Amino acid sequence: MSAEAESEERIKAQEKYREMSIAEFFAKNKELAGFSNPTRAIYQTVRELVENSLDATDSHNVLPEVKISIKEVEAATDDKPAKYEVAVEDNGIGVPPNEIANAFGKVLYSSKYVIRQTRGMYGLGVKAAILYSQMTTGQPVFIVSSTDSSDNIYYKKLLIDIKKNEPVIIEEGQLLKRSNWHGTKVYLTLEGDWVRAKQKIIEYIKRTALIAPYAEIIFETPENEIYYFPRVTKKMPKPPSEAKPHPHGIDIEQLKAMVSFTKTKTMLEFMVEEFQSIGEITARKFLESIGIDPNMNPKMLIEKGNSKLLQVVATGLRTYKNFRPPRSDYLSPIGEELIEVGLKRLFNAEWVKAITRQARAYEGHPFIVEAGIAYGGNIIPTEEPVLLRYANKIPLLYEEREDVSYKVVSSINWKLYNIEEPMPLVVLVHVASTKVPYKGVGKESLSEVQELESEIKNAVQEIARSLRLYISKKNSERTLREKIVTISKYIPEIARSLSILSIPPDKWGTDGKNNNEKIIEKLVKIVSKSIELPKIDGKEEDPEKIVRSVIANVKLEQ
Amino acid sequence: MSHIDKIDIAARKKVAEIFHKKFSELSESIEKGSPPKLEIPMRTLANTVFDPSKGILKLGIRKIERNFLNMNETKKFMQTLLMASIIYQALVENEYPTIRDLYYRGKHTILFKDLNGKIKEENTWEEQSESDASIRDVEVMTGLLREDMLILSKEKGKVVGNMRIRSGNDIIDLSKLGHGAYAIESTPDLIEFLDYDAELVLVVEKDAVFQQLHRAGFWQKYKALLVTGAGQPDRATRRFVRRLHDELKLPVYILTDSDPYGWYIYSVFKVGSIQLSYESERLATPKAKFLGVSMSDIFGYGTKKAYLNDEERRNFIIKAKDVDIKRAKELMKYSWFHSKLWKREIDMFMDKKAKLEIEAMASKGLKFLAFQYIPEKIQTQDWIE
Ligand SMILES: Nc1ncnc2c1ncn2[C@@H]1O[C@H](COP(=O)(O)OP(=O)(O)OP(=O)(O)O)[C@@H](O)[C@H]1O
Ligand SMILES: [Mg+2]
Repeated sequence: MSAEAESEERIKAQEKYREMSIAEFFAKNKELAGFSNPTRAIYQTVRELVENSLDATDSHNVLPEVKISIKEVEAATDDKPAKYEVAVEDNGIGVPPNEIANAFGKVLYSSKYVIRQTRGMYGLGVKAAILYSQMTTGQPVFIVSSTDSSDNIYYKKLLIDIKKNEPVIIEEGQLLKRSNWHGTKVYLTLEGDWVRAKQKIIEYIKRTALIAPYAEIIFETPENEIYYFPRVTKKMPKPPSEAKPHPHGIDIEQLKAMVSFTKTKTMLEFMVEEFQSIGEITARKFLESIGIDPNMNPKMLIEKGNSKLLQVVATGLRTYKNFRPPRSDYLSPIGEELIEVGLKRLFNAEWVKAITRQARAYEGHPFIVEAGIAYGGNIIPTEEPVLLRYANKIPLLYEEREDVSYKVVSSINWKLYNIEEPMPLVVLVHVASTKVPYKGVGKESLSEVQELESEIKNAVQEIARSLRLYISKKNSERTLREKIVTISKYIPEIARSLSILSIPPDKWGTDGKNNNEKIIEKLVKIVSKSIELPKIDGKEEDPEKIVRSVIANVKLEQ
Repeated sequence: MSHIDKIDIAARKKVAEIFHKKFSELSESIEKGSPPKLEIPMRTLANTVFDPSKGILKLGIRKIERNFLNMNETKKFMQTLLMASIIYQALVENEYPTIRDLYYRGKHTILFKDLNGKIKEENTWEEQSESDASIRDVEVMTGLLREDMLILSKEKGKVVGNMRIRSGNDIIDLSKLGHGAYAIESTPDLIEFLDYDAELVLVVEKDAVFQQLHRAGFWQKYKALLVTGAGQPDRATRRFVRRLHDELKLPVYILTDSDPYGWYIYSVFKVGSIQLSYESERLATPKAKFLGVSMSDIFGYGTKKAYLNDEERRNFIIKAKDVDIKRAKELMKYSWFHSKLWKREIDMFMDKKAKLEIEAMASKGLKFLAFQYIPEKIQTQDWIE
């Protein structure tokens, strides 16, 4: 054996091959799901539970009531962080009893693998939290749940068999339901750094309340502080509905899966039935353009030796220009009104405005950009605007600078909009989509998808333009008000002088009529008439009121 | 009010009526709801015109409007009315305020709240220059001089001579004042000329020269009314000289240093000052003659012999400074310095770059100045107009 071959042999001999379950993969790569340290872990746990709770409520037309509590169960020691029990309860649709075990005990098990705008999308979130809990404390997760139609409340304590990616039931049972409660409560115990995470968690909950002012949220901290966000409106956005896939968003694997599941018998039927927005005419034209017989059985595509054909169809689906754009009526934007309500409540802002843009699409996925701006009020002026990012109603707090919204907002020259530094400005951006282009499964930032970027830009600029109008109106109103003050403050002095001059010399000293008051009245009218204040938000002030209040406050000192 | 004389009371009444009438117009237009405004003849150089027929500087016809509703004019509008009211008050209450008094009487604080609700203070005026400007506005608006409004200023001018006047309730003999002189009062129009024995008026720039000529008995010998403005003449002195000229028909001769500043003083007597052109109508004496000291008195010209010999010239002449040259160039721009003789005078100055103080003539002997130089110049009509 040559020396070269020998060393190759040695290397090969050291390699050991085995399969890894997806549960084990995420257990080993916690940071991928956002569990990189005890601070992030407790934050991420709250997030995953709250997002599941909201998905179980507002996505199903239920006004959310969410209770979050964090309790310290074991204090920190020199070498170990403290242990906390995180519990989140909702009044949502609940989990059917036979699905509880998998939904919470099997990584990549989800009810959200459909084309629908939900916060959850990967089938990973709560399991990543359970895995972290299990690995840091060995404690099982405890789930209590009941669906609306069920007569029972079911509970389960379970662990995840990491090697097999399967739930291990520790304890389970059911109780008869005495009330009409439905919903889910999840208890988890994990090591975490509450002190460091506190501000972020509170901020997260605040921002959640901002975007969902129709939700009631109660948060109890380990220090027994209560953060209560009452419901401010019963108006909810229309829930998202499920969509069929758009051909532009389909890849070869998805196509294979669709073909194997379909019950249709011809390619024509397959196109019309399984995809959105394709009618018979479009389907025929498309199939003709790629040279496929409309009467061909779709299953042919996955028969051995037909991989070329499959390839042709897949490419055609992605690139054919004459499909209608993806439907957006499935999406559930928050809406201008709710964004404005939320911003007003959180910042007591002087001016707020929101916009929901028309739907657009990238790679076959429809999306809607919404933006809101709050100005003044309790907003603390800073060098650059405070950016509030949301995707499918989830507040995004980390990785701000990697986000496409940050790129857009930080490139705006606010001076052009009459906004001086430091600015009391909050910019909110919400992206709603059946597929949000997250940079990672931790769902913290959005990729720079070009269509998305230009929509965000248009949205923010459009509101910024109204803000500019407001500010310039306000400025000109202020100048006018200043003018009123400048002029009116002399009215008493002028009236006094004129009333002296209007006493004829021969009537001097006799108590001739003093027309001081009369002149003041006349001057008030003249000044008020000469100034017209601009309408701001439909309201305009009466200049006479200002003139009178100026005069009422003038004192002439001798 | 026995101490107040009749002329005074009549004058007050007339002026007060004018005030009342003028400002009642404004009250009436406010009554009708029109935006309040004052029309004020413009007091800038651009609105100053030389009237060659009368030989004086006058205000042009340009007027400015001062609008109460114009933010930039509103304070001045208030100040003008305030000033008018306090002058009016003084008039009807038989007072004689000085311009400094008017400043203090009108100065007070206006307290008001700004847009942020903060209490702010603002004075009706800060500096006397502001209240003085208001006085000038009231003067041009009403067409009255402050003297007419019985506003006093510091007395500066003096007069002696063979003449009796009535001032207030007293009769004053201007020839019986010893070494002293009569201080020309701030309200020269209230002086009544009773009788006189004089043939000319001699105005000297400098107070010291006035005293020397007075003690030398110049005015007795030459039947002169001797006047000084003690430097830049005040308004009362100019008005007084003008009255002597108009009412007594006496020629007026002016004697100053031989330099551009002296010429300027002459010019103020003759045509008025540029800054206050609106008063020239009544203050200027267009026929006043510049008696000297002229350049030809120092250097001679043609057949005329100089009054100074070489040695005296060496001793007395002062070299002109840059400011003198600058001032001379300024004066050359004014049309009343465009006469042939003035041109010659200024050219000689520019050429020699020399000036002379009048004291130099006196140092040749007071007698020389009083009994030779001045009478000879008058007799030979060696003056410039
Ligand atoms: N509070 C809840 N109420 C009702 N169903 C729930 C609740 N929590 C979890 N589920 C169900 O469990 C499933 C798995 O949740 P999990 O958070 O692991 O994944 P996901 O929400 O589908 O996606 P993602 O990984 O993006 O969060 C959900 O799809 C949902 O069907
Ligand atoms: Mg989830």
